[in-house]
Amino acid sequence: MTTATTTPQNTSGDGGSLRWALADSWVLTGRSLAHWARNPAPVIIGLLFPIMMVLMFGYLFGGAMDVPGGGNYREFLVPGMFAMTMVFGIEVTMLAVITDTARGVTDRFRAMPTSSAAVVTGRSIADMLNSVVGLSVMILCGLAVGWRAHEGFSRALAAVGLLLLLRFALLWVGIYLGLVFTDTAAVTAVQTLVWPLGFLSNAFVSPDTMPGWLAAIADWNPLSATGTATRELFGNPGWQGSSWAAEHAILLGVLWPAVICAIFFPLAVRRYQSLGR
Amino acid sequence: MSTATGTGTGEAQDLAPVSADSLAALLVATERPRRPSALAASLTFGWRAVLKIKHVPEQLFDVTAFPIMMVLMYTYLFGGALAGSPREYIQYLLPGILVMSVVMITMYTGVSVNTDIEKGVFDRFRTLPIWRPAVMVGYLLGDALRYTIASVVMLAVGLIMGFRPDGGFPGVLAGVALLLVFSFAFSWIWTMFGLLLRTEKSVMGVSMMVIFPLTFLSDIFVKPETMPGWLQAFVNNNPVTHVASAVRGLMEGDWPTDEVLWSLGWAAVLVAVFGPVTMRLYNRK
Repeated sequence: MTTATTTPQNTSGDGGSLRWALADSWVLTGRSLAHWARNPAPVIIGLLFPIMMVLMFGYLFGGAMDVPGGGNYREFLVPGMFAMTMVFGIEVTMLAVITDTARGVTDRFRAMPTSSAAVVTGRSIADMLNSVVGLSVMILCGLAVGWRAHEGFSRALAAVGLLLLLRFALLWVGIYLGLVFTDTAAVTAVQTLVWPLGFLSNAFVSPDTMPGWLAAIADWNPLSATGTATRELFGNPGWQGSSWAAEHAILLGVLWPAVICAIFFPLAVRRYQSLGR
Repeated sequence: MSTATGTGTGEAQDLAPVSADSLAALLVATERPRRPSALAASLTFGWRAVLKIKHVPEQLFDVTAFPIMMVLMYTYLFGGALAGSPREYIQYLLPGILVMSVVMITMYTGVSVNTDIEKGVFDRFRTLPIWRPAVMVGYLLGDALRYTIASVVMLAVGLIMGFRPDGGFPGVLAGVALLLVFSFAFSWIWTMFGLLLRTEKSVMGVSMMVIFPLTFLSDIFVKPETMPGWLQAFVNNNPVTHVASAVRGLMEGDWPTDEVLWSLGWAAVLVAVFGPVTMRLYNRK
């Protein structure tokens, strides 16, 4: 006895194929969200770290910290921590991609009659939703420690947009690295690179208080661009700076993610397509 | 029966046959060998811990790389914002970071104990006719060397970066000595957890949960006066704060009697509480 199985053929032209691709992406997004719902520990731990940093730096060091131009240190710190949370998302993405690849799940998806972009798109949508939740929690934490957005709703929304833009750009870095490395131990190696990126920035202190050579590194850090831009848009202290990077922070806040995306998006897609070869 | 063994000169040399009686006489000697003293046994186990460092030098990474990274990061990144300049801040920070790095590596005592239990080496040691606490004291003596290495590395890095202790060599020596005494006492907590918990991972997890709040919620990085009142209450009564203040004072050339006495008092309390508990657990293992 033979059974004939037919895969649903999409014959409705480009509009139909796009609809299929979106449907597949949404199913895979749902899968990632279900994973987090069943095992929320990594997500919670990921959120606890920046909250702990806000509390530690805000209360432990806050009284001793000098904010150039004056102002409350916690108001200076919180936007930097928003940006830091976006950067640390790389590890979450990378770990999820590596785990799926190591378990052979990615290969199974590629063997299915699904849109080839759906796996990567599904991962990116899920991670962006995760970041929105993370950022919301951080905003609540910021409000609790005395941070406020002083420049109105539209500028605050623009600041949130810049933060999510940085996360979207770094998402592709995470996906690419997750596809390149096959061992979860590689996440630890990437952590050692991400940490300096986080600390060698203006997230915690203004580059004006650092030695010249270090200030230059901090000023041109993508995280610093987003940090300064969000401080400016939220109306928080410490965003004024003497360097070109500080004066054009909003421009750099858009440019840096665009450059990162332009490099890593094609790399991630190409890497995914060449997995089975 | 004779066996011929070739010597360096190529001559054959006959060995006298060994009778069963003479072998028995040798094995069952009339006089039992003298039992090693408590000090000798402890030093032997201490030497074992030192050899472990020699054979696995990677374990010194935490003793050196992490503290160096911390002192570089805090001095250059935050020094300007916290004290006006990195040069000024390192004078305050370095003694504190020295305390932090040494206190943090005390947890490896518990990890070593736990590893030996898992490997079964521990049970072998307990069958030996030696002073019972020798094994435990040995772990702690071996770790004292690690603390000394950490202290020397930190001070060397500090001096390169511009740390200038007004207390000179005697002040630095007194500060390090006090720190070693406190760390020796503090290590008893982790030997207890090493005996109590099942896995190496859980020992590290518990120790991190204790060490992180104690080291960060102290005066290692900033003066308690700059903190909110509710936080000052904890920071001012934290044993690590007393040790850091005492070490800082000694290195600055002051002799902060109060802080030194507090540090020694805490050390005595830790040994008095956790020493007997550890030995009780050890004897019941």
